[in-house]
This record gives sequence, C-alpha cells and structure tokens, in this order.
Amino acid sequence: MFKHNIIYSFKLLIKNKVLIFWTLFFPLILATFFHLAFSNISDSEKLNIIDIAIIENELLDNNSYFKESFVYLSSSNENQLFDTIFTTEEDAKELLTNNEIVGYIVLNGDGPSLVVKNSDINTTILKYVIEEINQNSIIINNTLESSVNQNTTINDISNQIISYLSSSNISITDQSSDNVDYMMLPFYSLVAMTALYGGILGVAMINYFLANMSSVGKRVSVSPTKKSILILSGVIASYIIQLLGISLLMFYTSVILNINYGSNVFLVFLLGLVGSLAGLSFGIAVSSLFKVNEDTKTGIIISVTMLGCFLSGMMISSLKYIIDKYIPIVNLFNPASMITDGLYSLYCYDNFNKYWFDIMSLLIFSLLLILLSITSLRRQKYDSI
Amino acid sequence: MNYVIEVEHLTKKYKSFKAIDDLSFKVKKGEILGLLGPNGSGKSTTINCLLALLNFKQGHIKIFGKEMKQDAYDIKQDIGVVFQDVAVFDELTVYENIDYFGGLYIKDKNLRKTYINEALDLVSLKDFAKFYPKQLSGGLIRRLNIACGIVHKPKLIFLDEPTVAVDPQSRNNILNGIRKLRDDGATIIYTTHYMEEAEMICDNIVILDKGNIIAEGSSDELKKLAKIEEKVIVEIMNFDDKYLKMIGKLKNVVDVTYASSILTVKYNKGQNNLVTFIEYLKENKIEYFKIYSERPTLNDVFLEITGKELRD
Repeated sequence: MFKHNIIYSFKLLIKNKVLIFWTLFFPLILATFFHLAFSNISDSEKLNIIDIAIIENELLDNNSYFKESFVYLSSSNENQLFDTIFTTEEDAKELLTNNEIVGYIVLNGDGPSLVVKNSDINTTILKYVIEEINQNSIIINNTLESSVNQNTTINDISNQIISYLSSSNISITDQSSDNVDYMMLPFYSLVAMTALYGGILGVAMINYFLANMSSVGKRVSVSPTKKSILILSGVIASYIIQLLGISLLMFYTSVILNINYGSNVFLVFLLGLVGSLAGLSFGIAVSSLFKVNEDTKTGIIISVTMLGCFLSGMMISSLKYIIDKYIPIVNLFNPASMITDGLYSLYCYDNFNKYWFDIMSLLIFSLLLILLSITSLRRQKYDSI
Repeated sequence: MNYVIEVEHLTKKYKSFKAIDDLSFKVKKGEILGLLGPNGSGKSTTINCLLALLNFKQGHIKIFGKEMKQDAYDIKQDIGVVFQDVAVFDELTVYENIDYFGGLYIKDKNLRKTYINEALDLVSLKDFAKFYPKQLSGGLIRRLNIACGIVHKPKLIFLDEPTVAVDPQSRNNILNGIRKLRDDGATIIYTTHYMEEAEMICDNIVILDKGNIIAEGSSDELKKLAKIEEKVIVEIMNFDDKYLKMIGKLKNVVDVTYASSILTVKYNKGQNNLVTFIEYLKENKIEYFKIYSERPTLNDVFLEITGKELRD
C-alpha cells in the first residue's frame, strides 16, 4: 500500500504541469537569465582590481599582520584583489572624492573602520576582507602577548597561532581558492530557491489528502488508509521530484552554462537536498496551518521563497551583507539564507564548520515545521454545512 | 433485526445553527435508503457525520454494530462513497484513477485488477480505460466517479446525488448499476433531488427538512400522507383566471393553480377525473395543447407537509 501510494503520488506530481514548471523548469530559466546577465559582468569584474587606500598611522605600523595582509592581496599576480595606496587621510579623502578609490581604511583604537562613498559589491568584498583580517590579527596579537613573557621559541609561537586559527571559527579568507567569484552568489541563491520551491509540491501533496481542500481529499479521508501513510508516501514522492530538480539544475548550470561550483560540488548537492527537505516542510506547514485555497497557499510559498532569496542576495549581492549587519535575525530564520550561507562558506572558509552549522539549522528548521504540521493535521476535521 | 446503520439522537451544530436536530434512524442490511430533502435540509451533513468527517457533540452513530470514529479503519474498509462533487484526478487515466482509489482498500494487486475490470463493466467504461477525465463527457465522468467509490466491493455505499447533470443514457446506466450493487448484497444510502429516482430504486425513504426527519417509510407509505390521489395537468395559453374559481368548485377538486401556462388541478379521489375535466374544457370552449394525469409524487408529500417544493 505504501509503495502504491508513492508511485501514484509521484505520477500525480510529475503530470501536474504547473508544479513541474515551477519546481523543475523555472530555476533553469532563471539560471539562463543569470548566466546571460552576469557572465560578462563577472569576467570584467575579475579583471578590475579594487582600488583602496589605507591611512598610515602608528596603529597600522604596530599591526603588521593587518598591513602585510593587504600588501599581499595587492601584490601583482593573477589573484591580485586590491591596489592599495598607503597615504594620509587628507589624500585618501581626495582620492575617494575623485572616485579613484572605492574606499579607505583607518585603523583606530576600536579597530579598522572603512569609509566609502557608495555601497556596492566592491565595498562588500572589502568589508568582508577587513573583518577577516582584523579578526585573525586579533588572535595573533593575543597569542604573541601571552607568549612574550614565557620562555617559548619562535616555533612554539607559530604552532600556537596555527592551533588558535584552526580551532577558532574565524579563518583566513582564501582568495586564491578554486572559486571565490562573488557572482556565484545568485547561483547559490538559485540552488536555495529551487530547494525551497519544493514547498509547492508539499502544498499540492497535502491538499490531495485534506477533506476540506479537495473532493479527492474527501474521498481519501474516508478510506481506511492512515493519514500518516498517505502523507509520508506523498513526502517521499515529492522529495524524489525535488532531487530531480536539484540534479537538473546542477547539471544544467555546470555542464551547459559552465558554472564552476568548485571542488565541493558534492557538498553543494548535499546542501541542496537538505534545503529541499526544508522547502518541502515549509510547504507542508503552509498547507496544514493556513485554511485558504491551494492557489493562495502556492502564492505564499512562491512569495516567501522569492523574498527569502532576495534577502539572501539573489538579485542584489550586497543586500545579504546589509541584512546580516543591520537585522541579522532576518537571515537567522531565512532558510534561503541558511542555504546560501552554507554554500558561500564552502569557498570562503578553510573549514566546514559553518557549512555543517547551516546543514543542522536547516534540519532543525524542517523538523520543527513537520512537528507543527503533524500537530495541526491531527486536530483537523472537515468542516462544512 | 440486522441493522447496518444505527443513528440515535444525532445533533450537529455550527455555532448556534442546528444543521441536524436530534436525528434518529436505522438502515437494514441490503436495503436502499433514500435521503430526500431540499438544499440545506441536512442530507450532506448527515452523511459527513456518518463518515466521521464531521465532529458532533450529541448522539451516537453505529455502523456494522460498531461506534463510527475517524480512526475506525476496519469499518471504513467496508464503506464506499460517491460524493456529489466528482472526486477523480485529472492527471490519471480512468484505469489509474480506479486503481489508485482501489489501492487504498485492497493490497493484493491481482485481486485489485479483477475488481477494477468488474467496476469498469458495471459502469460501462471498459472502452474508456485509457482515457483521461478531461476527455470524457459529463455522464462518463460521473460513471468514473462511481467506479472509484465502489471498486473495492463495499458492504455499505453512500451515493450523494450521483446522477446530477447526466444524460438519460448515463442515468439509466447508473441506476441499473445501483440496483445490481444492491442485488449483490450492498446496503445503499442514496441522496437525490430527483423524486422519480427515489421512487424507482429506494426501499425506504427519509425526508429531511431543516435537520429534522419530517417523514419516513416506503414510497407508497409516504404517498398516502398526501391528501390528493390524482393531478390533472393542462398546458393552456392565455387562460382566463375567472375559470379558476369555477374549476375549484368541481367535484373532488381540492386545489387548482395556474402558472407558466400550466394549469394544475388536484383531486382527493382518483377516478375518471381526466375524462371529466376534458369534457369540462370542451363545454367551456377552452383550448389547450396538452393534457395528462399523474399520481401524486413525493414532492406532493413534501409540499403537503412543509408547504414548499422539495427543490426549493
């Protein structure tokens, strides 16, 4: 009976043209648009080195790690990220006014501060790099200070620093890793969107089994098959379609559009699958909790998913940074952000802590929604005069 | 007595509105019980309560001698339902639809296959097995709707207005199928607006109004409740109202009405009324298109008791 339900649930979903468009083909269309829109920008931006200035002062002289990091990132090689001028604040202001630099950094007692004219993707990158370098320089300075009064060798200090860095959640941004192209962010968000569009499948599936949502739901409800079996088989069938959707997107973007997911493609896929579970759970929750028609439920799923993806940087890459900085709670509960964060962390951090944290967050998010849905579904009765 | 359904003092309220008010009735094994009543009379609510789709605060429902509950899966196994709204999947073929709903009751694939073919035969849809619902006419979809509800050979079948909006051929086919199901041993609860259908196939009839049973019994028993024995119906254009009073004073006439070019004369005794009235029309040189006589219907019974038409 379980197998029978899975097979028919799969047939019902795969033959529903509207569902299949949104879950399988719409992401491919968006991927094509992103590719057409961003590929040229990405190439040109890669060649454009970001011009910045750092104000020379005593604090900078004392923070050689901070200074040397920027010198390294500004050295002429294929991975050069910045062209850095060390100058006075007056000169830096003038350079900024004349648009010769995107911003300048001043080291003061509270740490580095960044002065920019506009907020764009270059300033977003600069902010990320400053934060990473600053956090690491703090660790190094602390280590040196704690070691200076002890009879330790240079090797001991080096080992201690390495130990600190590897055990901390903060890591040095590896700008030379196999893919740090910030233009990947829309594609990461697209993976998130595809995963979360599983919610539409969840809505359709639950509606098939709710007596107050459809006439077939009424017929199914009077059958001797338990609701739990119907829902579980429906979820499995929906998840198989989600798996197809994510696979199709990954295949299309990587093979046809030549999008490079780097060496962690399996982890990208895994995150997509866990994200799909979150999407499906979201759909089931919307379907169970809201007593509105199917079109409205689908509308809720699409709009919430699109909003989540928008906030996680699908359309404006720097928006994610702004949300993270000013209203971090939004992205804390935004599954799209959990997915894009996890994907971004694969290429920005030298360990997978953040990635696994996001995987766990998505699993907890899914579990909570499923529990909520089950509670709601068990209480529901058909209600009509 | 072997009762399949026992309903005692069933009351269903929606806030202060009583959809069903202290309803009690029993259904014997192998009978077709007709549930008649106008819209909002409580027919569907009664069925939904019987199927445990609705909660109710007062009363008891027993099916096959056991308390009916939402998780009474053993009872549900022997129940088949054909709802008024067509409940089939557009994405599945006729065969797949019957197989899917049959699969909710029958695990054995081979047995299911046999039952599906029998259901297709019963509703004469064998030639359409590979068709999708959108490719079927309204009548054929109704037949598919029935096949999906009875494929598992239930002992108790609920048929909620199964012949709504179907052509005469499909209606006859459906009614013959229902009779066959009864002959095979099924107990059937049949709701309809069509009195002639109820008269044709129901062994017993319950007439509901405002959530109450206002009459019950066999078709003949119910008709005795009507005070008339015969109706003469005449199609007349431009009928002069002055004749209404005169006709009303004729022998055995209890009521006379004229509306929409139809003159209806009701008699409390039913002998030679048609011949007598034709003579009356000739004498008064009243021209008519058509004239015929009929026995009282269940609608007349309903009209007699409630003062309104069943279809109101």
